[in-house]
Order: sequence, then C-alpha cells, then structure tokens
Amino acid sequence: MPLLSRSLSLLRNLFRKARVEEDLNNEVRSYVQMLTEEKIKAGMSPEEARRAAIMELGGVEQVKEQIREVRMGAFLESLLQDLRFGLRSMRRSPGLTAVAVLSLALGIGANTAIFSLMNAVMLRQLPVKDPGQLVLLGTGRGAGDNGGFANTILYSYSFYGEMRQKNQVFSDVSALLSVQFGGMHGAIGGSGNLEPMNVQLVSGTYFSMLGVKPILGRSFTEAEDEPAGGHPVAILSYTWWNRRFARDPAIVGKTVTLGSTVYTIIGVTPPEFFGTTVGQSPDLWIPLSMEKQVSPGWNGLQDKWFESLYIFSRLKPGVGVVQADANVNLLARQIWREFAGPVLTREQQQTLEHAHIELTPAARGLSCLRFEFSVPLQILMAVVGLVLLIACANIANLLLARATTRQREIAVRMAIGAGRARLIRQMLTESLLMAFLGGTLGIGLAWWASEALLAMVSTGAQRVPLDVAPDASVLAFTIIVSLTTAILFGTAPALRATMVDLTPALKEGRGGVTVAGRSGLAKTLVVAQVALSLVLLIGAGLFLRTLVNFANVDTGFDKEGVLLFGIDPVDVGYKLDSRLVNLYHQIEQRVSAQPGVRSASISYFTFNQGAWSTGVVVQGSRPQPEYSPNVIHNVVGPSYFTTMGIPLLVGRVFGPQDTATSPKVAVINETMAKEFFPGGSPIGRRFGIGDDTKHSSDLEVVEVVKDAKYLSLREKPYPAAYYPYTQNIQYYYDLEVRYAGDPTAIIAEVRHAVGEVDRSLPISYQNTLAQQVHESIANHSLIAQLSTFFSLLAVFLACIGLYGLMSYAVTRRTNEIGIRMALGAQRNQILGMILRETFQLVLAGLIIGIPIAVAGSKLISSQLFGLKPTDPLTISMATLLFMAVAAFAGYLPARRASRVDPMAALRCE
Amino acid sequence: MPPRQTNLLQGTLDLLILKTLGLDQMHGLGISRRIEQITRGTFQVKPGSLFPALHRMEEAGWLASSWGESENNRRAKYYRLTKAGQRQLAAETKQWERISLAIGRALEATS
Repeated sequence: MPLLSRSLSLLRNLFRKARVEEDLNNEVRSYVQMLTEEKIKAGMSPEEARRAAIMELGGVEQVKEQIREVRMGAFLESLLQDLRFGLRSMRRSPGLTAVAVLSLALGIGANTAIFSLMNAVMLRQLPVKDPGQLVLLGTGRGAGDNGGFANTILYSYSFYGEMRQKNQVFSDVSALLSVQFGGMHGAIGGSGNLEPMNVQLVSGTYFSMLGVKPILGRSFTEAEDEPAGGHPVAILSYTWWNRRFARDPAIVGKTVTLGSTVYTIIGVTPPEFFGTTVGQSPDLWIPLSMEKQVSPGWNGLQDKWFESLYIFSRLKPGVGVVQADANVNLLARQIWREFAGPVLTREQQQTLEHAHIELTPAARGLSCLRFEFSVPLQILMAVVGLVLLIACANIANLLLARATTRQREIAVRMAIGAGRARLIRQMLTESLLMAFLGGTLGIGLAWWASEALLAMVSTGAQRVPLDVAPDASVLAFTIIVSLTTAILFGTAPALRATMVDLTPALKEGRGGVTVAGRSGLAKTLVVAQVALSLVLLIGAGLFLRTLVNFANVDTGFDKEGVLLFGIDPVDVGYKLDSRLVNLYHQIEQRVSAQPGVRSASISYFTFNQGAWSTGVVVQGSRPQPEYSPNVIHNVVGPSYFTTMGIPLLVGRVFGPQDTATSPKVAVINETMAKEFFPGGSPIGRRFGIGDDTKHSSDLEVVEVVKDAKYLSLREKPYPAAYYPYTQNIQYYYDLEVRYAGDPTAIIAEVRHAVGEVDRSLPISYQNTLAQQVHESIANHSLIAQLSTFFSLLAVFLACIGLYGLMSYAVTRRTNEIGIRMALGAQRNQILGMILRETFQLVLAGLIIGIPIAVAGSKLISSQLFGLKPTDPLTISMATLLFMAVAAFAGYLPARRASRVDPMAALRCE
Repeated sequence: MPPRQTNLLQGTLDLLILKTLGLDQMHGLGISRRIEQITRGTFQVKPGSLFPALHRMEEAGWLASSWGESENNRRAKYYRLTKAGQRQLAAETKQWERISLAIGRALEATS
C-alpha cells in the first residue's frame, strides 16, 4: 500500500511523530519490565524472566507496529471519511457551496493580490549573498546631486573612496549613482541605429560586494574605479540580454556606443538580479569612473562636494549595526572635515555637529516605490482583511442556517453514538474543504489582479518592472489565510450545531426546532458586518474626497492640451555651445509651425520631475541666515509660459534680445516677488543664485508670473524663478507642446518636425501633462479606487447577510405572522414590524461602527488631503448611503412577510 | 484466523476491557491479569491484541490514558473509562445480554 504508507508518514510528520513514538516506546518497555518482575517473583532468574517476558509479548517492535497501525490507520480512515462526507454534503447544497466558495475566492484573492504587491515592494529580499549583512549609509530618501555640505543621504565619489579605505566595520563598500539614466540612447555593435536603454552607474566594487556572479564573462573589479574615463566597459542585465540579444552566447566582446564612447560588453548578470533598486531594472551597468562620458551633465568625480551617490556596504561577520554606526559616523566627520579644508564657516561647523548618518538595513534593497506605497498598501491590506472577515461572517451565517435545518440529522447521529468532537471535526473538515477551494480560486484571481494592480501603480508609458507572480511566501500567506478563514467561519456553526438537546430535537417534526441560540449568534454576526462595512465605507469616502480635493487643486498651469516629449542631445554628441542652443531654438520653431500646434518649448522641468533648488541673495538686502527659503529654479524657452498656460502678470517675456552675451535675466513668480522683493515692483531688481553676496547682481528680474505647483499638488506656494536657456547652456530633455485636435496626429507631426531639424536626435513621446499630474497622485488614486470598490463589496456582503437573516426569520415566523393577521394586523403593520427589526440591527451596527471609524481614521490621516479624518460630511454621507442600501435589503423580506396569506400560513401547521 | 471469529473476539475483548476498567484505572499488564482472573483463565489476553485494542478504544474516545506510578514504583501508562466509555459499556453489556440470551434460546430449541 504505497499510497497509505506515504499518507501515514505524512500524518506522522504532521502530528509530532517523535512524541507519539516516545510514548509508545515507554509504554511497551514498562510493560516488559513489569512482566519481568512478575516472573522473577514467581522464581525465574532475571535473565530467564526477561526472555520469557519478551517471548510472551511477541516482540517489542511487532507490538509497537500493531499499535501504530491501529492509531494512524484509524485517524487516516476517519479523515478520509470526513472528506468524503464533506464533498457529499457540499454537492447536496450546491447553492450554498457556490456562494461560500465564490465569496471566499474573492476575499482570499484580494488579500493575496495586495500581499503579492506588498511582498514585491516591501518584503522580498534581494537575490544576493547574505542580504542580511547589507546596509545603506543614510535612509535613501532622496536622489540626484545635493551639491551641498556633509549630506547624510547622498555622498561624493571621493567620500566613497575614503570610506572604503578607512572603515573597520565593512567587509566591502560600494557606490551607485542615486539616479538611473532612464532614457539613454545608444547604438549596438557600431550600427547607426539609436535604441533606448536604461543605464546605471556603479562602483567597481558593486557586484563583488553584493556577491552577484555574472553568468557570462566577468564582473567589474575595484580596478575599474580609477582613473576617470579609463574603463569603457559594460555589464548587461539578463533581461536585456534575453530581449535584445536573444541570449547571444558570444555577447562578451561586442560593443554599445553611447555618445562618442564605445563600451565593450564584458559580462551578463544572473536572471534573478534586477539591481538593488526595487522597481527599476537597468539594462546595463557601467563603472562610475565613466560618469562624464556617459552623461556630461554629471561631471562630479573630482568634486568632493558633488554628493550624488548611494553607498551600500556589507557588514563584516560579527559586526552589529550599532558598532558600524559609531565607526561610520566618526569616520564621516573626519572625512568631511578634511574635505572642507582648514577653516570651517560657522554654518558648516553646525551642520557637521548635527550630521548623523543613519545605517539602514538594506537586505530588501532600496525603493522610492516603497516610500510612496508602503502606507497605502498597508491600508489596503487592512481593508481587504476586513472584507474577508465580513465574507467569513456571511458564510458562518449560511452554515448556521444549514446547521439548523440539519439539527434532526445531527441529533440522530449523536443518539446512535457519534461523539460531539467527531461531529465538530467533520464539520470543520467541510469548512476547510470550502476554504481550500476558495483559496485555490483566489490564487488564480490574485495572479490576474496583481498584474492589474501593478498597472495602477505604474507611471508613464512603461510598466514598473516588478515581479508580482506568486512565490513561496505568497503561497504560504494564502494557505494561512485560507486556514484562518475556515476556522473563523467554521468553528461557531460547528459548536452551535452540535449543542443539541437530543430529546426535543428528535421528538419534534422537521421544522420548528428551537433556534434561540442560532438567531442570537446570527444577529451578532450581522451587527458586526454592518459595523465593519460602515468603517470601510467611511474610509473610502475620505479617500474619494481626498482625490476630489486633489483634482480641484489650482495647479497654476493649464494641464489640458499639452503633450510632453523627451529629447536626448547628449547621446548624439552635442557639445555645450551655441550649436545646442540653436538646436533648441530650431526645434521650438519647427514644432510650433505644425498645424494644430499652438506653441512649443524646451525646458529643464515641467511638473513633478524633481527640482533644482537653492537659496538666493537679493541685491541691496541684508542676508537673512535664519530665514532663507529655497527657490525652485527652472530653465525654459521663450514660449514656456504660453505652452504651460502660466499667466503673466507684469513685465516682458524672454525674447531674442536675451542672448548668451546680453545681461542675464530672470522671470520670478508671485511668491518670490512677495518674499524677496517686498514693497514696490520687482521688475528691474537684481538677485543671484547661492549665498555669496558677490553674485547678488547677477540676474535682473524682467517679469512676474503667477504661482504654480512644481513638485507636487500638496506643496505650499514656493518661490520660483525661470531663466532662458540661451543664457544657461546645458542639456535639457523636456519638450512641451500645446496643441488642439487629435493628439495621435500631433505626435507624428512633432516627431517629423524634430527629425527635420536633426535626423539623428532621439525623440520620444512621454505623456500628456494631465496624465503626469494624475500620476503624481497615483498612490492616492490607487487607495481611493480600491477602497471604494472593496467598501461597496463589503456593504453588499453585509446587506446579503442582513437579507438572509431577515428572510430566514420571516420564513420561520410565517405562523406567527399568519396569526397576527388573522387577529387583525394590517399589512403595513407587518411591513413596519419587520423593517423595525431590520433597522434595530442596522442601528446597533452603526452605533458600534462610527466610533471605530473615527478612531481608525486617525491612522490614515497621512493619506488624506484637504479634509480632517473625522470629516462629519463624509461620515454622515456614508451612514446615509448604508441605511439606504440596508433599507432595500430589509424591505424585500418585509414585503414578503406582509403578503403572507393568513389562511395558508395557519393551515401550514 | 478466520475473520468472523476475529470480529467476535474483538467485540468480546472490548467489552472485557471496558468492564475491567469500570471500577478503577489500570495499566496494561494489570488489565491483562485482571481479565485472566475474572474469566478464570478462559481468556489470556496477549499484548499483541491488548495494546492495539487499548489504543483504538482511546482513539474512539472511550478510554483516556495518563502516566503514573505502578505498585513497584515503575512508570506505567494507566487507562481509565471516559463518560463515553461508560455509555459504551452499558450499551455493549445490553447488547451482549441480548445476543447471549438469543443464542442460548437458539441452542435450547435445536437440542
């Protein structure tokens, strides 16, 4: 019996084989000893006695095996019996089974889907050697180039070198640029074709520190760190190797050309490695020493204060975070002091005193997705958890109702000797079966749903590269959830169903068994459902109103009718000179001449793309060290304000008179005018960027424009300034186009027009401005949409529960209603009576639910905008909506009650 | 052993064990000796049938077991009757009486 023996061994493993075995051993041994003693007393020698005892026993192992067979066999047999019985009774009530399994599938599926996303974003460890030893210097909350002094999140290349050499706590230290170059364009193998690719710059120690071994070729070494510009080599990601090169085994030695530099491919990473930033997946890695060649704008290797790197390190075995923290901070202060030179300003001294590098465990990598979505995901996890609870309450109620109809059968079985424990076990087996069916369907559902969720959190045209397919921890989660739900909805009905008073149960007919206990428990369940679903409804209301508030924020620009494009002048070899300025100008001219295009402009930033922000010094005013708000700077073309729809207030816009050699000019916004140039017109006044008064006459204000939102919809009004690109020659990648008509045609036109200016220049359509604004609140719309969906589902389930309970009550009380009517009760009175009972339940739920919602809403206040968590309007709207739906759920059974024919009802008995 | 005889024997053994444990809790050897004693040696219960029976009856909820000290200060596993076991004893006793009465009558009638 291979199947049996296998199942047996499984069961033994499950049920603590060791203890059972030990017990068995002791029992048989003590029997032999006592038997031996008996025989010694009867006059045998100890040896003889022992032999005789074992003979009489018939072999210690044989006896044990016989016992084992009885025990395990009996258990297995009754388990199979229960399973068979469970399947049979599920087949017998297909309606109930379908409702239960479907609602479980929905509930478990939703939980699994949210958990998969949470797992991918927040929980999963990097596929590297001993991820537990990895730490990040600083919190990782920030990216770009700080360019300040002693930053504790981003570090300079020199800082990385010093830290690597001098620390005593890390077995290795590596660095990566905090920004992935997302839209670079390169040529593969010397072809003239430019293709988009994502490039990540890393130190030579990056792969060896992580313990990631290439599956082809070699990885970087620390030799690649120096000298600058000396190592044109690249490592490909498996995904890109697979997608672009069809896993060409002879890839090592081929080349990729970026700008004017040719990089030799030296290796390919393993398939499971997507870099250390969750939600990004670089196509190729290039040594940091090539920074200037890859992106001429990022030229900071020699600059000790060009702070733009994350530093990842591996703790030496046995070194704790506390010890590492002390060493790192001591060392960092020395390094910064050394970098700063012999004399520190007072400000620098203060910064240095307060600077503290926090060491963050980095086993799960780094992720901006995590910063943005971890709270929303936790909230959603709680929401779907509650929905599942409500579904469980529904199923429990269904099972209770069925247990009542089965009471006679149960009584009979108990009377002929079935133990209560045995019956409970049997009912629980049935619940488990349902839960596992639901769980299996749920996993399938989650597979689909988590892809949909991923699309919701993705911004831009590309899907976030995250692996949300169920893995072992997701499966474990689902199994645990299924088990828990089975226990939740199965236990109470099983206990209640077997609490049978045999005699009356057997004596009475098929109906009319006492159900006082049942309906008490059922009422409690329904009240709990009402309370929980109201909590969810209020939460969803708060999130929806937050979304509406965001939609009503005055952005200060007109987000409709604008398309955003990306251009890439770096990779086709433009230098920072007048040719580049001419390119920008030509593009603006050609594109705005297209039919349907109203205006076009090049710019540094549009909205929610990060910022260049510093302090400023105003000519003629005293420096204010304690109060100097940062100004957000942007560099734009002359038509920027028309294109974005930012209203002009006073002065003149940039024009052809503003050239590289003419006096430098600036456009400022209202807030800047108010805060930096109070009293009188700011036109003609001067200021400079930075805190050095030497520069305070650098820029002349020529215009004031209205305030706008720059980084997010949440922000308070920022002072902001704009400069013409003719006077700030840099690489700019943004092209905005205001249009009217069909966007598809416009996109083709814009591509064509840019091609006419320079055929080699890569141009890509990015997004609409409206979409860009919408995506800046992706986390809020995710939470609002999903919580609305789930709260409506919860209300629906609660109303089904309410409806089920009331229509069951009406059926049971048909006699009573008939008598009432026979005695003269009006139909309306009956209707009122049933509705009143329904509303008593609803009211009890509301009274419990509202305080829970008020208490719970404090937890979500960080996700709300423009309203308080205890917003009375939302709470009353949700309550009203719930009552309306509940009234409908209660009305159906009440109407049925009022239509009872008294004669039929009475005859029925 | 032919199956019918086993069944009969098993039923008998159960009844004997239940009866034996009706008064007091006992360990395996004690049960076996007591059955020998009260049946005046008609039934000699071998451990090979005694222990499986004890475990099966425990599984069925008729018996409960616990570890204790024997007369000679040995650790031994003691079995006692549960409530379900007492009911079972009553039911089986009644059934046995019916069967033995019926069989007795049948034998008288043919002779």
